[in-house]
Amino acid sequence: MKISSVTPQEIFRLLVSSPQGLTEDEARRRLEEFGRNEISELEKRPLWKSFLLQFTHFLAIILWMAALLAFLSEYFHPGAGMLTLALAIIGVILINGIFTFVQEYKSEKAIEKLRLLLPFRVRVIRDAKEHEIPAEQIVPGDLILLAEGDLIPADGRIIESNRLTVSNAPLTGESEPVQLSTEPDDHPLLECKNIAFAGSSITSGSGKAMVFATGMRTEVGKIAHLTGSVSDDLTPLQKEIVKTTRFVTFLATLMGIIFFFAGALTGRSFWENFLFAIGIIVANVPEGLLPTVTLSLAMGSQRMAKKKALVRSLNAVESLGSVSVICTDKTGTLTQNKMQVRVLWINGEIVSLSDAIHLPASVNFFRIAALCNNSTFVDGHSQGDPTEIALLQAAHESFSDISAARISEIPFTSERKMMSTLHRLDSGICIFTKGALESVLPCCTHLELNGQTLPLTAELRERILAGYTSLTDQGLRVLALAYRHATQAEISRTEIARESDLILSGLAGLEDPPRPEVPQAIAKCLAAGIKTIMLTGDASRTAVAIAREIGLVHQEPLVIEGQELARMSDEILRDNLRSSEIIFARMTPKHKLRVVTILKEEGERVAVTGDGVNDAPALKKADVGIAMGLTGTDVAKEAADMILLDDNFATIVSAVEEGRAVYENIRKFTTYIFSSNIPEIIPYLVYILFAVPLPLTVIQILAIDLGTDMFPALALGAEKPAGHLMRVPPRRPSERLLDWKVLGRAYLLLGPIEAAAALFAFFIFLSWGGWQWGEMLSSADPLYLQATTACLASIIVSQVANVFACRSYSTSAFRIGFFSNPLLLLGIAVEGLFLIALVYHPWANQWFGTAPLPAAIWWTMIPFAVILLVADEIRKLFSKPQIA
Amino acid sequence: MYKRVLAAVNEHLNSEITARYAMEFARSCGAKLFICFIADKSLPHAALRNAENAVSRLFIQAEEIHVPVESISDSGDPAARIEQIVRRAEIDLAFVSTRRTDMKRRFYAGSVSRRLLLHLPCSVALVRVVHAGMIRPRRILVPLKARIDQVQQRAFFTAQFANAFDARLFLLYASPPAASLFGGHIHLTPIEWQQRLPESIAAFIKTLQQQGAEVEHKVSPGAAGKTIRLEAVAKPHDLILMGASQRSLISSLFQGNPVEEVLRATPCDLILFRPRHEN
Repeated sequence: MKISSVTPQEIFRLLVSSPQGLTEDEARRRLEEFGRNEISELEKRPLWKSFLLQFTHFLAIILWMAALLAFLSEYFHPGAGMLTLALAIIGVILINGIFTFVQEYKSEKAIEKLRLLLPFRVRVIRDAKEHEIPAEQIVPGDLILLAEGDLIPADGRIIESNRLTVSNAPLTGESEPVQLSTEPDDHPLLECKNIAFAGSSITSGSGKAMVFATGMRTEVGKIAHLTGSVSDDLTPLQKEIVKTTRFVTFLATLMGIIFFFAGALTGRSFWENFLFAIGIIVANVPEGLLPTVTLSLAMGSQRMAKKKALVRSLNAVESLGSVSVICTDKTGTLTQNKMQVRVLWINGEIVSLSDAIHLPASVNFFRIAALCNNSTFVDGHSQGDPTEIALLQAAHESFSDISAARISEIPFTSERKMMSTLHRLDSGICIFTKGALESVLPCCTHLELNGQTLPLTAELRERILAGYTSLTDQGLRVLALAYRHATQAEISRTEIARESDLILSGLAGLEDPPRPEVPQAIAKCLAAGIKTIMLTGDASRTAVAIAREIGLVHQEPLVIEGQELARMSDEILRDNLRSSEIIFARMTPKHKLRVVTILKEEGERVAVTGDGVNDAPALKKADVGIAMGLTGTDVAKEAADMILLDDNFATIVSAVEEGRAVYENIRKFTTYIFSSNIPEIIPYLVYILFAVPLPLTVIQILAIDLGTDMFPALALGAEKPAGHLMRVPPRRPSERLLDWKVLGRAYLLLGPIEAAAALFAFFIFLSWGGWQWGEMLSSADPLYLQATTACLASIIVSQVANVFACRSYSTSAFRIGFFSNPLLLLGIAVEGLFLIALVYHPWANQWFGTAPLPAAIWWTMIPFAVILLVADEIRKLFSKPQIA
Repeated sequence: MYKRVLAAVNEHLNSEITARYAMEFARSCGAKLFICFIADKSLPHAALRNAENAVSRLFIQAEEIHVPVESISDSGDPAARIEQIVRRAEIDLAFVSTRRTDMKRRFYAGSVSRRLLLHLPCSVALVRVVHAGMIRPRRILVPLKARIDQVQQRAFFTAQFANAFDARLFLLYASPPAASLFGGHIHLTPIEWQQRLPESIAAFIKTLQQQGAEVEHKVSPGAAGKTIRLEAVAKPHDLILMGASQRSLISSLFQGNPVEEVLRATPCDLILFRPRHEN
């Protein structure tokens, strides 16, 4: 037994109320007990907390510790430059934290938009008197008064209805108004005709409802609950970044500790080892990686915006590239949402629109199409329901002048699935009816055939049904059109009496044609190993026909209808979702969340489209929620990660391609950034193992990681997508950003060559200055300053060659061309300017402990850059083509 | 197992709805129902009349559905008097409602409902009513923890409650997410999660099935409180039936308290069950 299935009298008893309403005292007590009637946000994390979290994760804690150690070192051992280092490390933490915060912070307004669905004030009966009170003070048991134009403040059971009609569109997506009654109803709650739902609006009539659920317990409150509570899981890239930073941090700390003790064993002082340990940690941590990733994602989002995909969350840029399933709506996304009459079933046969005009029977047919119609066509612009517009256009194309005075109308309702109009024509009064065949045919007694009106025999009925099946098999939406002459007396007759003894004129087959670019986009998805699942409110035949037309299905697909889905257990649905071709028909948006949840549980990375208020939870739950820019509600747009400015499926596929390119580029610059870790670490090892001056200082490492490396790395983030990107399956969840290929290439090939270049420059410069092996130099010695500068410059020069090598894992840099990415040349130019400033500008010399270099030393660096490029070219000759 | 069921009633609507749950449960067990109202000395006259009316209505309803019923009205400290009544009448199970105002205090500390839950010498079902329009729950969510004590009695109460309302039971084990230090979050499929189902939960399911209850179960990774709430809204379920928290305040501060989280923002009616006897 449900609230909808009992009588109004029983409702009073259950809610302990009466037709006189609650007393003010009782209402106050219930307000205290059940709380305010408002949509609230349950899981909102304060902004300050989100901000602080950016500075307390694993990598940040290690860096804080390093900064603390540097401060301690400065306190106990002043003058070694540790204060500068500590401040620099804190700068790194702040840069990373602020970048990540800006990237992750998204003002969540979906709940705010849901709140707007509720009214501010409402009329209520209390103590047997009518009052107007703030809607938030409504409580269970309150008797509310409803009238045309009102927004409904809470879920209530209808107690009195005077042709009370509501639009539940915000809640169910159903655009047709529903007439409510007081009769008990056993349907599922959302389909009940005796319940007024919070957030819906009264389109006509008036009535009274007894409130039984308020605030977050209403159906719209449940949407808010789900939308606010469904957590944004870490995106695949965020998970990879976490894994990478954990691995690198562990490695850095371990190396720092090991070499601290190794230094102690070789007899170095505590402070030297301390300095060394911090240096090792800083050298290992790729400080520039997080800001570069963020900027790269931001650039990706800009490129997507140009393709009409507006990304609301930067992380969605890369998530799109990893999706393995796209759950998409049909109408407006795969199709044009422009209904057209394609063929007619008239005179017992299927004819095209152009052929129909020559048939005498078409006169009545198009008259019904034009007159039993509420859409308007003025100055080339149509207004109204797409189906009615299509019928009106077809009628006007066939017969330009059709008009008659309308006497009355029996409106369309979703239960009757038909409408009728009564008209005064020159020939007399006529009733015109149009609607679903299953509704219209029972009202018909005759069929118009070859200019004659024949009684509907069983044989003729079969012929009509055969015509109907033939049209639906073509994926067409079918409407039956009927008419009859009426008498003056019938004007006052009841609705049911008027819609009887009709003559069936024919059937109209309408279609919403697919968008022309969709078949190619679907083919791209197939080639890219992405499964596309259509979820539509349309009937299964229509859905399958469209799916075939756009190439979404090739065999006999598994079709699941909404009611069947509601009865299906999770296990069976899980099995069904493994089918290669599956379509969900007659779906309501509430089913989307379930489909998305199960797909995610199965390890799929899911993108889902939506436009309605009740799509919001599914949009939040999916890895990438995609809202429709043209037809979407504000709630859906706020809940989504991406907004399609043109509502087009092909735009999603373009965005997926861009997302894949972004990930590929992140791998490229990860290789680039990690390559420079080796020439930053090796000088420390040389320093500790061979008792030589330290070739590279910690500040100089930061100058590379957060300075010179950043611009070329960003340019790598702007590389164009490789042609094969949409011909390979989505990357596996087990695939690591920092896998052995990336690490091996960076740490075993590119990095060591750069380290050799750095050490060669350092020692050759020392030897030119008369340095003897084993001799220790002071940190202020001009020869030492120049030698470390040579070491630094040599790494940066090698990185210029490296950036060209890293543009592809397997394709030759020469084949790609050195000028095909203008941003790369700009990045190298900026890097060059930064290097010149580091070496020759007195301020930079002071900050970074550098000194101007003579021209001769630069020539020693170039051969290593060439060697690096050639060595990687040789590796590429033997490597298999792959992404990145 | 339950032959004498008590429903504590006061001036609030939620206590009347709680008593309706007790009435259906008593009918299903063939137990006698004791409708008990203890008037606090400070209770205003209007509230007193409300409560007395509620007792009358409930008494009539119980007689209408042929549940043996007795009403007890008295005055004094509600918790102390109810405890005396439970001892004197040898009550097996008491249904007590908890209010939204109790939630404002940390885990209903100091409230009458907390005192009853902790000190009554019988099993207690603490009911939080948030949806006045829920007449008969048809889908009951039963969140479980990894270690379940008093399996027999818990299973009996759960199965009997489902039977009383002809409802289906949906068991949920909110497991901590699988993760490794360097690998981070590990995704497991539902089948893999099923393989990690704790033994006591498997035993509980078996006991429920032996008692004829219709049961579905699933494992969901995530923070328990949030996972339970989300599951309850998403399906949606009509009622949550879970064990009362046994965590201390200190333990709750460090580990969180799922029961408290669900109590604060439950999307549907909630029953916290605390068994008192093994047999």
